[in-house]
Amino acid sequence: MSNETPPLFGKTRFLEGLIDEFLDKISEGILLVEMGIKSYLVNNEETDICLEKLNQIIEIKRRCSELRRTIVTMLYTEMLLPDARGDVLRLLGSLFELLDEMGDNYQELMIVQPRRLPEFGSDFSDLTDMAIRSVQAVVVAARTFFRTPAAVRDHINEVRVFEDETDKLAWRIKRRIFAADLSFEHRTQLREAAAMIDALADKAENIGDNLSIFAIKRSL
Amino acid sequence: MALIVTLIFLSSGLFLGWSMGANDASNAFGTAVATRMIRFSTAAFLCSVFVIIGAVTSGTGAAEGLGQLGAINALPGAFTAALAAALTVAWMSKVGLPASTSQAVVGSIIGWNLFSGSPTDLGTLRRIVATWVISPVLGAIFAMLLYKLLVEWIRLTKPHLLSLDRNTRSGLILAGIFGSYAIGANGIGNVMGFFVAASPFRELSLGPFNVTSVEQLFLIGGVAVAVGVYTYSRRVMMTVGDSLLTLSPLAAFVVVVSHSLVLFIFSSTALESLLASWGLPTIPLLPVSGSQAVIGSVLGIGLLQGLKGVRQIRWGVLGGIASGWITTPLIATVIGFVLLFVVQNVFGQEVFHPLDQVLRPAAIERFNGAGQPPVAVVAPGLAGF
Repeated sequence: MSNETPPLFGKTRFLEGLIDEFLDKISEGILLVEMGIKSYLVNNEETDICLEKLNQIIEIKRRCSELRRTIVTMLYTEMLLPDARGDVLRLLGSLFELLDEMGDNYQELMIVQPRRLPEFGSDFSDLTDMAIRSVQAVVVAARTFFRTPAAVRDHINEVRVFEDETDKLAWRIKRRIFAADLSFEHRTQLREAAAMIDALADKAENIGDNLSIFAIKRSL
Repeated sequence: MALIVTLIFLSSGLFLGWSMGANDASNAFGTAVATRMIRFSTAAFLCSVFVIIGAVTSGTGAAEGLGQLGAINALPGAFTAALAAALTVAWMSKVGLPASTSQAVVGSIIGWNLFSGSPTDLGTLRRIVATWVISPVLGAIFAMLLYKLLVEWIRLTKPHLLSLDRNTRSGLILAGIFGSYAIGANGIGNVMGFFVAASPFRELSLGPFNVTSVEQLFLIGGVAVAVGVYTYSRRVMMTVGDSLLTLSPLAAFVVVVSHSLVLFIFSSTALESLLASWGLPTIPLLPVSGSQAVIGSVLGIGLLQGLKGVRQIRWGVLGGIASGWITTPLIATVIGFVLLFVVQNVFGQEVFHPLDQVLRPAAIERFNGAGQPPVAVVAPGLAGF
């Protein structure tokens, strides 16, 4: 349980601040994952920077989890947003899952450390860029949901475009991996790394689909 | 002994008050409770307190409009008419339909008029029936305009979801309080107005405050309304607030404000004199049904959303509610007539005082001018015309 104590007055503003902080932390976590993966691709090994990013991501995940729990508790105990409470909780929950999955995938990359990655370095960099853009677009859409639900649709469309592009890049990388002269072990490692990054964009798209329904429900 | 008899007769008024609490509280807080913006316990508490305040401070004279329809002149008759109205509203509440207390009271007064042979002022009746059509239509128009304005304002200011929620909640509480006050001020006349002439209470002095017998009467009437709110209003609140159309909290706020505006324009003497001073036609000051205004407002919001909204309206539920608007006065009239017969013939009570009445000189002249034989005595019930 979080130790955030809501004030006697100004609970709404306090909760707005917590939601904004949660979304900020998610955005920060996404950037850290991107920086960590890029650093690994450049150096093709686990560097101090990679480890530092991993630690930062773990800390951000902890803070996000704490914030989410505080927000959930406050929404229910203060009877706030009776009609949209469930949607808000699902949205925050899935954003946290997204960050959690990104952190776990990054951690796994650090554990597995696929060999022969330099040969596909630029492809993986493009793939990471596109997947991260998709994830960032969904966070922007989530932020928009709280103020202008009607504008969420524009951001969701961006998410879909980026996810589509990510799928195409992942498919191209996998074909190149299996066309190259690599051992089965290396092929599997690289394919899984590509699939892992691609899965982030898929997850972002799923969140976007749910978010578009939440936004329709909130439309005036 | 006389006091005990009076209190027994008063009991039907308290029953009617209870029925009104069970039913009309939904107009002030129904949509707020149904959208879960306000807890039922909070709504019931605020509604009860402000109904009592409205009844005691502004309740006197509220029954004037109904008084023009027919003046019940015997306490057993008042008891029976109030009982008929209360039974009608209680039964409608039991089946979850938002019946209008003022409609039931109108029906029971007509029942008394029919039984006693007193004439019903058709002009007043026509005006009252016209408000039963006009108030939902006005409610719908107010709701549409208000909703459109609010949506535009929200689009411009882009408040955070939580700020919007907080503002809507505050608005719902304020509008509910105002609505409850209006229910107390306007409705208590319907409930206890029957008994004003026969109030068993004496004026009380509490330091600098004087509490008149009528205020004491309205206070216990208000308490009866509050008991009705606490014990039986939840179901009707859910019918009004949720069954007809699923409302957003913002729409719930618009509905309550529209309902209060309709009540206001039909009961504000200040507005009447303002319109008159501008040379505009005035709005008749008559008891209107808050339930009808609420239903009209809910429909207005549905219609504003076009075909999508029309499809979302549960027309079956609306049919049930609208049929209640026709059946409530009819049922009250029939029950009133039958009960008056029973009270008079089984219990031997005098439910009306027959009045010897004379025609005004102008009317007699009209008769004479038309070549009719001179009239000396005359049909009962025309005094005052």
